[in-house]
Amino acid sequence: MNERYAGTLLVARQALRRDRLLVSVWVTLLVLVVYASAAATGSLYDTTGDRVDAARAINDNPAVVALYGPILDVHSLGELAMTKLTVLYAVLLALMLVVVVRRHTRTEEESGHAELLGGTALGRDALLAGAVLEGVAVAVAVAVLVALADVAGGLPVAGSVGFGATWLGTGLVAVMLTAAACQLAASSRTCFGIAGAALAVLYLMRAVGDVGAEWLSWLTPFGWNTRLSAWSEPRWWMLLLYGALAGLLAVAAQALRARRDLGAGLFAARPGPAHGSPRLADVLALTWRVHRPALLGWTVAVAAMGLVLGAIAPGVGDLLDTAAGRELIESIGGVGALEDALLAAVLSISAVVITCFGIAVVVRGSADEHDGRTEQVLATATSRTRGLVAALLVALVGVAWLLLVTGFATGLGLGRDVGGLVEAGMAQVPAVWLVVGLAALLYAVRSGWSVVGWGLLGLFLVLGQLGGLLDLPGWVTGLSPYAHTPAMPVEPFRAGPALALTAIAAGCLVAAWWRYRGRDIG
Amino acid sequence: MAETVIDVQELVKTFGPHRALDELDLEVRAGEVHGFLGPNGAGKSTTIRALLGLLRVDSGTATVFGQDPWRDAVAIHRRLAYVPGDVALWPNLSGGETVDMLLRMRGADPGAGHREELLERFDLDPTKKGRAYSKGNRQKVALVAAFAADVDLLVLDEPTSGLDPLMEQVFADCVAERVAAGTTVLLSSHILSEVERLADRVTIIREGRAVESGTLDDLRHLRRSRITATVARVPEGLDGAPGVHDLSVDGTALALTVEPDALPGVLKALTEAGVTALTSAPPTLEELFLDAYRVHA
Repeated sequence: MNERYAGTLLVARQALRRDRLLVSVWVTLLVLVVYASAAATGSLYDTTGDRVDAARAINDNPAVVALYGPILDVHSLGELAMTKLTVLYAVLLALMLVVVVRRHTRTEEESGHAELLGGTALGRDALLAGAVLEGVAVAVAVAVLVALADVAGGLPVAGSVGFGATWLGTGLVAVMLTAAACQLAASSRTCFGIAGAALAVLYLMRAVGDVGAEWLSWLTPFGWNTRLSAWSEPRWWMLLLYGALAGLLAVAAQALRARRDLGAGLFAARPGPAHGSPRLADVLALTWRVHRPALLGWTVAVAAMGLVLGAIAPGVGDLLDTAAGRELIESIGGVGALEDALLAAVLSISAVVITCFGIAVVVRGSADEHDGRTEQVLATATSRTRGLVAALLVALVGVAWLLLVTGFATGLGLGRDVGGLVEAGMAQVPAVWLVVGLAALLYAVRSGWSVVGWGLLGLFLVLGQLGGLLDLPGWVTGLSPYAHTPAMPVEPFRAGPALALTAIAAGCLVAAWWRYRGRDIG
Repeated sequence: MAETVIDVQELVKTFGPHRALDELDLEVRAGEVHGFLGPNGAGKSTTIRALLGLLRVDSGTATVFGQDPWRDAVAIHRRLAYVPGDVALWPNLSGGETVDMLLRMRGADPGAGHREELLERFDLDPTKKGRAYSKGNRQKVALVAAFAADVDLLVLDEPTSGLDPLMEQVFADCVAERVAAGTTVLLSSHILSEVERLADRVTIIREGRAVESGTLDDLRHLRRSRITATVARVPEGLDGAPGVHDLSVDGTALALTVEPDALPGVLKALTEAGVTALTSAPPTLEELFLDAYRVHA
């Protein structure tokens, strides 16, 4: 092994150790979803005829094809069962690998850890190589596990292996893509943006390709996932495509790394203004300034998601119009028209996703306190109350805004009942506020505890998703605030639970304020 | 006696079993530069954070401008500027934006003070983003924000730890200018020469307690001077005489340290011994510092 790579194994092991919680939770969830989809599809569609009908319904709806990709073999159980997973969930795998690889490369450089490590006997490229090695190891593990999950769910072995191979390919591309993206900019956030945007472009190319210009789908790994046709007659040679692209990106990453200094990016950092805006004069303006780019990104994302989901909702209504499918959707969305039930389900999941923005704002407060930025703000004429209120305002108003946008965009996509869907979106606000309030309370008790907010969110999500399947008692599933919001537009708005959730959220916030005023900072 | 700006008495702060401040006393008078000396971990930053109302103390009293830093934090902070030892900036804000924001948050007008002049003197590019600054440049951002507007009190926590010698000189000039304008300065440091150059009075802290406090002259008076002399013949009776220490004789060259009370006797003995060359040096701060640590160890 070359001197440049000395210590790579050590770095990879250490990286894996630091990621053990994140990776194991994320991988477990992915594998569970794969298994559940594999096992459930057989019982969802009783006969081959049902299955073919469902597959044809998917192929006939351009919006669904744009989202999931087409079904090439309508007779294949495996292909139907993995409709959502072949492309859409592969994105989640890619996203995890972006997070992991960036964390051990650019983020380490930005924080100065890389410089510290660079002074030890580590080789010059050991950090990059170690992060890549970890990413590859995780991708291989996921591929093996999802293949096993498919087999355990009752799908054919050969197809399961092929499916696992497409995920491995996607994972390798994501790892190398991130490795290259992290060489480009000095800011860890910007690198994440570059990698994320690249994935989005690859996904959109496939979406457009699958709906019309098919040659586009042949240019992106997400298109290959479908076209390898794992479940009927696998084109194994296509694995070479993933390998070639990943290899190319790896060479690019290495070349870019060799051309730049530690800590620097390939793009020069843009200079900022020499003077501060007069409006940037208090802690609320500062907090808004810090979170504005993220909120903008979220707004675009939830608007796009709302438009697409609103547009495909009628089609999905047809697709799941079997007794079992109806039951499935109704169990999430409540009794009512299938289409409305689906919209209710979409909005309730959006509420969980949007809560992430609020928790991220609170967790950012912890980071500011840890690094000493909070201290500098509080050493000015800024009271603790104002500091806390600023963060909470951005978090609470931000999530409410995002739910409003989601409801509005879904209504636009659907082409009717915009007002009703906005109301349905806003009906989720009290539950989201309560979870953000709990995270704020954790932060107020002890700065470092705010990350437990992510754990709470995950717990509530699991309670909501698995509560019915596992037959948990009502009081257990009822622990999740999301269980108490009405499934609008199916159910009518109920003021009682909304007021109760809001009151508890307010209680959490007041307790957080009371505690934050009395504790040590830093 | 001048008005007291910072008054700390028997301040105690514990973190779990660790007693970070152990009945600390500290008095800073209006218009002085007060050196707050101690090695890493002695409790300097904890004291400063308590004075800023960031920490809740367990017992004892602390006042800044006669007010309680915990209760009246905002009122006190309007009159002071703080430079932390380890400056963290907002990654997306430029240096110029950060300076202006901190000034405005203190209620000062960035256009009114010496902002531009200070940026030039500290040779700081205000258009760089926070993440792009080195440690020294991050410190300069905080220093410019602190010096750019008139305040009654500067609280500086090891403010020069990232600066090069040239910039240390600029820093010293800025402190002198602020003091000339009537500002009081609390300067925490473990760099003795810096404190020796800038401070009027000094408090030496060790394991959360003030072990020495006073003007540098006061402290020196209590300490030994170092004398070297060349003599015609070695004088009798110096060895073991009260107040004489560390005597070494190398031919006709003598070196010794002497307590203030014994100085007349030693000089007399040296004169009688036919002294041909004599140097007398006051104790350096370093010696005071080490002494303070030795005595209380």
